[in-house]
Amino acid sequence: MKIVGISACTSGIAHTYIAKEKLIKAGTEAGHQVRIETQGTIGIEDELTVQEIKEADLVIIAADIKISGRERFKGKKVVEIPTNLAIKAPKQLYKKLESELQRGV
Amino acid sequence: MWKKIWRKMELKKHALTAISYMLPLVVAAGLLIAIGNLAGGSVITNYKEPFSVASALLSLGVLGMGLLAPVIAGAIAYSIADRPGIAPGLLMGLIANSIGAGFLGGMLGGFIVGYFVLFLRKHLKVPRWAEGLMPMMIIPLVSSVVIGLLMYFVIGVPIVWATEGMTSFLNSMQGSMRFVFGAILGGMAAFDFGGPVNKVASLFADGLLLQGVKEPEAVKILASMVPPFGVTISWLLSLAFRKKKYTKEEEDNIKIALPMGVCMITEGVIPIAAVDLLRVVAACTFGAAIGGGLSMMWGVASPVPSGGMFIVPAMNHPLLFTLALLIGSLITGIILFLWKKEPTKEEEKLSDKDFEEEFDLSDIKISQ
Repeated sequence: MKIVGISACTSGIAHTYIAKEKLIKAGTEAGHQVRIETQGTIGIEDELTVQEIKEADLVIIAADIKISGRERFKGKKVVEIPTNLAIKAPKQLYKKLESELQRGV
Repeated sequence: MWKKIWRKMELKKHALTAISYMLPLVVAAGLLIAIGNLAGGSVITNYKEPFSVASALLSLGVLGMGLLAPVIAGAIAYSIADRPGIAPGLLMGLIANSIGAGFLGGMLGGFIVGYFVLFLRKHLKVPRWAEGLMPMMIIPLVSSVVIGLLMYFVIGVPIVWATEGMTSFLNSMQGSMRFVFGAILGGMAAFDFGGPVNKVASLFADGLLLQGVKEPEAVKILASMVPPFGVTISWLLSLAFRKKKYTKEEEDNIKIALPMGVCMITEGVIPIAAVDLLRVVAACTFGAAIGGGLSMMWGVASPVPSGGMFIVPAMNHPLLFTLALLIGSLITGIILFLWKKEPTKEEEKLSDKDFEEEFDLSDIKISQ
């Protein structure tokens, strides 16, 4: 699957980036293509392109706070989780998402 | 059904959004005040007379602190209602400031005005020609008038009481009472390594900081650093006494957890705690409670809410803080060293970098 996502945590200096690493690592291991945009206190980095969003099968928003640019994902399949989950159980997350998608949500 | 509405309101997300916007401001303002004070400045009351650089820095910090309630209220309202929430939110924060309802008042005002703006956006219908006026005039004006008056005459009153009561209670605490308070706060802040219990303690400390009560903030900072430092000490002890307590994998994790700890990020300890939950949590909570109690009792105060070892010089008693931190970490370290069992061969093998604790994922829904 092609997956895009956003990570953003409260202090915006640590968890945002750990969540990104974990999501990419576990996702790649599960055979997905994962691109994550970070919205830390420094601002948006690795911004998702229109093309990437258009091609994505699923959007993962791993955020504890309000993210900017949500309207970009209108009409896409979106799953929202706290950063904590992406950090502590990324593999379980992907398994769960795969089975949810298979059930034809 | 109430549960559903409660969840939909996402109170926590809005509060955290506000905290995330507030943090850089409070760190900058807190450090400015600390530097200005150290350099011998005083708050400028009359700008027509000459003033020193130190006084300018101090005054800027004080101005920055005054922005906190407006920024919190504005950010909460923005998180709830998007851009139209910002202007009325800022105003509610200013009201909270001027009637003395501070941080709590700002949060409450932000929530109420945010939901009110959201309600207006959804349900207030105007003729086509007036649509342009909605975001520019109608929403800001109507919400400021309605919620503003509510803040001034109704909601503000009990909040001012509560704020004053809590502040004077905390300031009047003496001796052993202070120790107990610091111990509870410190234990809570360390208990789940940056999880929900920690966030409650930390919100509480941040709130008090804005009321001018700075001691709980020092406890919070201390308690966030005790777990990584304590675990590191227990590992060093195990090296010194040649008693193996950690697997190779855990040792690597400790080497990462320590520098994270210096920056006040507790979460580096999670992989170590996950393998031996009870012992690590108990030792860290106990050490942080003692350290927090001492820090509170000695009156250590921090004007800055975050930044780890780097902001220790800005505290009122840097040495006492370091001492309390050291005692707490040593206690954690010694308890862990004595209590932890030598890892078995299997654990050595099993210690897997990709370890995940079981998570309840039943709530996860994909929406379209």
